[in-house]
Amino acid sequence: MGKLQALSLYADFRKDLNYIEKELERSVDSASPIIRQASLQLLHAGGKRIRPIFVLLASEFGPHSLEDITKVAVSLELVHMASLVHDDVIDNSDMRRGLETVKAKWDNRIAMYAGDYIFSRALHSIGEIELPAVHQLLAKTMLEICEGEIIQIEHQRVANQTIRDYLRRIKRKTALLLSSSCELGALASGADATNVRKLSRFGYFAGMSFQITDDILDITSTDKELGKPAGSDLLNGHLTLPILYVKDDPEFLPYMERAFAQTLTETERSAMLSYICNSGAIEKAEAVSDLYLQKALKEISGLPDSKAKKAFRQIAAFIGQRKY
Amino acid sequence: MEKHNIKQIIDNYINDMKRAVRHPLLEKNIGEVKLAHLKAFFLLLPKLNGEKWVASTHTAAIAVGAVHTAFDAHDRIDERDATSTTQQLTVLSGDYYSGIHYRLLASLPDFEFIRTLSKTIGEINETKADFHNQAPSGLEQLIDAVRTIEANCITSFLHTFGFSQYAPLAAAALPLISLDAELLTCEGRPDNVGNYWTTDESDTSQAIEEFRKELQHALDDADFLQPFLVKEIRQMTTPLLGELI
Repeated sequence: MGKLQALSLYADFRKDLNYIEKELERSVDSASPIIRQASLQLLHAGGKRIRPIFVLLASEFGPHSLEDITKVAVSLELVHMASLVHDDVIDNSDMRRGLETVKAKWDNRIAMYAGDYIFSRALHSIGEIELPAVHQLLAKTMLEICEGEIIQIEHQRVANQTIRDYLRRIKRKTALLLSSSCELGALASGADATNVRKLSRFGYFAGMSFQITDDILDITSTDKELGKPAGSDLLNGHLTLPILYVKDDPEFLPYMERAFAQTLTETERSAMLSYICNSGAIEKAEAVSDLYLQKALKEISGLPDSKAKKAFRQIAAFIGQRKY
Repeated sequence: MEKHNIKQIIDNYINDMKRAVRHPLLEKNIGEVKLAHLKAFFLLLPKLNGEKWVASTHTAAIAVGAVHTAFDAHDRIDERDATSTTQQLTVLSGDYYSGIHYRLLASLPDFEFIRTLSKTIGEINETKADFHNQAPSGLEQLIDAVRTIEANCITSFLHTFGFSQYAPLAAAALPLISLDAELLTCEGRPDNVGNYWTTDESDTSQAIEEFRKELQHALDDADFLQPFLVKEIRQMTTPLLGELI
């Protein structure tokens, strides 16, 4: 679960989080050896489990049942996992979190089946929750995520993109699922409508900040820290916020063209990353991320005081400071 | 009902399904979605036979069609290289159609079918992965695998919506037709390898025989089925008798 575990929220919610983790594992205990192996490899590779945590914390604002909340939490993490397996096929990625991807260990077809299997388990888990609003929101979110990915492909290796294009893309790619994690946790727990709305907006703003930070770390971290080559976003033709700030610099242009043409040497990749880091683009992107974080904090300030509210604050602080 | 009425009902259903999953950018890049008339026939068999078919049943049937188009998309992904824009969008199209199936069922909402169909989709993907990794060893495994992949979504639908008596027909005919087509492909190739069911040819022939016997029993028991539909099924499951529907 990464260093999120070090936060004190884990002391307060450890028992519930361990239960969710066990249920996650149980949910992908496939009869097929190959699917089981692929799913468990993904599960054991870690990840921050930020979606299940958001579901759990948001559910604290209503009279929830842990059993129901776990089904929602498991479902959202599985939707996320399934999308990662398919993303690795699209991006032709061989490594994720320092481990071989499913497509690299087996092949693209197995990755498609594994992703589809995990997605089916997500629906099976949430199918136990007989609340129409829960399903309508999750279905809408999943389609929006897909739409975001389709637009990302359309924008791949297209230089004339705007910051607005980028923000729209990350909204769909990341923020909506985090927003929905909060909203679904709150809805399934029977929280009141005002708190559901605040939690949903918190998830959205935190998600925007989280993705911008992720995109910054793709440039500022080492290959080892990332478990994949630094600068992968640009190598895959995706223009992230720091890149958008630097893309029109005449000195940067040749790097971008070579990255798009996939002819960048290792030395050039290193020089390109240094160029971005020294251009002021990282600081500008950090400022935008911080702006979203402040909006997120403002949303939760109106929630009743509780351990969950404190935990949400800690997570927001973690997102702002994270280095991995 | 005349043969052209069958075709019209199936065409209308396929058009409704296409409208439900339509995405302009996907259509522009990877073309219009396709759903085999054969699958639609067995999905709609109760309706063709005059059973009560309400709007929610139709929506659920469209959801099943969307699942099949998602399967078809992901079956087209190259094992080694999916980096072309077309392949990347094909991956996403499968995810999108799958999302549409869920949205349709959530709109009803039909929780029972969300659970049943997701369980079936999971089993189909398990079977596909195992099959892709290693061809089934022996006749029994082959029969189970082909039936699961070809028929289980449709039989799940039939069971859930109170049309269980139609399920044995789909469970025998759909794998039979798929294997028959595979065998024909094999025979036309010097290496005797088919497109999909790359397995032992004698097992395939035996499996076809088993499915044929099973279908015969199912048809013998199907006294509820109107004669023109029995005839239609016999035609489509008899090799070289011509076009499906």
